Amino acid sequence: MEIKTINTTNISTFFNQLVQSGKIVIAPVLKKSGKIFFERVQSYNQIETDYIQTAFSAKSVVFPKVEELFSYSKTTDNFETKQSLSDIPETVVWGLRPCDSAAFNYMTRFFMDENPDIYFATRKERTTLIAISCAKSDEACFCTSVGLDPGKTKGSDIQLTLMGNEYYVEVITEKGLSAIKTSESLFTSSTEKSKEKYLAEPTTKFSIEEIKEKMQNAYDNVAWGQESMGCVGCGACAFACPTCTCFDIQDEGTGENGKRIRCWDACGFSQFTKHASGHNPKPNQTARRRQRLLHKFKYSVENIGMVSCVGCGRCIRICPAHLNIFENILNVTKA
Amino acid sequence: MNIKNNYIPYKMRVAKITEEAPLIQTYRLEFVDKKEADEFSFKAGQFAEYGIFGEGECTFCIASAPTREGYIECTFRNTGRVTKALADCEENDIITLRGPFGNSFPIEQWYGKNVVFVTGGIALPPLRCVINTLLDQREKFGEISVYYGAKTVNDLTYKAELDDWANRGDMKLFITVDPGGETPEWKRYIGFVPTILEQNPPESDNAIAIIAGPPILIKLGMPILSKSGFPNNRIFTTLENRMKCGVGKCGHCMVGKTYVCKDGPVFTYEEILKMPVEY
Repeated sequence: MEIKTINTTNISTFFNQLVQSGKIVIAPVLKKSGKIFFERVQSYNQIETDYIQTAFSAKSVVFPKVEELFSYSKTTDNFETKQSLSDIPETVVWGLRPCDSAAFNYMTRFFMDENPDIYFATRKERTTLIAISCAKSDEACFCTSVGLDPGKTKGSDIQLTLMGNEYYVEVITEKGLSAIKTSESLFTSSTEKSKEKYLAEPTTKFSIEEIKEKMQNAYDNVAWGQESMGCVGCGACAFACPTCTCFDIQDEGTGENGKRIRCWDACGFSQFTKHASGHNPKPNQTARRRQRLLHKFKYSVENIGMVSCVGCGRCIRICPAHLNIFENILNVTKA
Repeated sequence: MNIKNNYIPYKMRVAKITEEAPLIQTYRLEFVDKKEADEFSFKAGQFAEYGIFGEGECTFCIASAPTREGYIECTFRNTGRVTKALADCEENDIITLRGPFGNSFPIEQWYGKNVVFVTGGIALPPLRCVINTLLDQREKFGEISVYYGAKTVNDLTYKAELDDWANRGDMKLFITVDPGGETPEWKRYIGFVPTILEQNPPESDNAIAIIAGPPILIKLGMPILSKSGFPNNRIFTTLENRMKCGVGKCGHCMVGKTYVCKDGPVFTYEEILKMPVEY
């Protein structure tokens, strides 16, 4: 890792040089709704710098909401498929939070450890993550409860931390090094400093070790019914979530021409597990909410050794029924 | 990047269509590409994704035995969008195939043992693959028994093959139809599969049991096999949850932490008992 600093007056120059390098740069943008979304931008003055968290995560860069697997054309006795992996562009994600970087780390384990996914792999290889540590948090944030913190660099290629009138720059990976290469003169070499006093202090809601332990026996807890009562099965939590990876595969087009796509799906949807016979192994919202939370805090731990929740708080902010994930998990792990 | 693309399908020609029962057909599929045909191999119990462009893909176990080379067969019921489109195919049409996916039955470990099959309705196809694999090396196994039932006589799949099996003389068959589903000529059993199984319990010494069916048959049948003396690690089943990807990513088939598609579809009763009842 290399440590550098960059003056706040130079940060826009660095940013604009990234754009000029020909890469797609996506960054937080304030929309009319008052919410902040990651969007492709052309210049630093389009981006929002004062935000706690974007409404949706940046996972769509490596796992798009709708992704073409291949296009097909078919005649009566033949068909051809064409995939366009080579068209996937080099992309820089600017200004994601450390929790989101950690989520990329989880997704890489999930998509690549077993039966590696060529689409994810290609996108991930062409993505550089420039994270900005959190100076502020809100009541939905709970990264410190899941083993992360507002300055954690896990998953980031470069991490910026605002310290007074300069950014403290941690260049973590080779990709990070190559991203600053063309702007080298804007940076000053530095030594390791403590980021602590510049970071937000989200309240820690629970002990993850205790929750992991208690989740072992949580499946039959009667509290699931109460805790999922408000759930309308809209799937907003899963779409906003930086670690949710479930998808559907659909064909768009006719029998002759079209494309096979994969698109986000959610375990909260009532049809997600429904068999053609009509039988549904997860027949109600209680079973579906339980699947979501146990997947994050139990099944992921058992399958790949990580909790698949980074405490970004998006599901709490977005839920129309005001369900709160950490309240839910505390209540279903009570004896 | 040297990673296999799991989503690009094989090109298959529908070589033969057999009407099995109302809405149920068997398709014999042959590879269009000779090289792909040579490279393709599968084991008894594995499944595949069969597709029609413009409609999508659906999941069935491979119903033919790996011992019978040159083609694969699938048997399906016309029940949804994709199976409807599949059912509309004619011989020589082209469909897509991805696979094989999942684990398989540990058949080599069953040499010298008796093998009991318990199944109902359209769950015979995945077991037909296993049964024929055993029959193709008949001398390696002890007694082979099949308990199979359907709603009505007409709903039985593989009617001709059931007669062939009966005529072999080296298998015990308990073919039954649900009460009311019999015809005047029906001479076999009448009753639900679990009932017939309970009334004619198989010998469990040195025996393996394989049960597949609608979830209710698995839930009712397994305890009966246990009662007959089969230890939980000698009862096998094949689960069939909804699936999309086949490689443990899309999340649809999860039973607790288990992905039916990559950790299964074949499980022992011992493993099933550790899972939540989400199948």
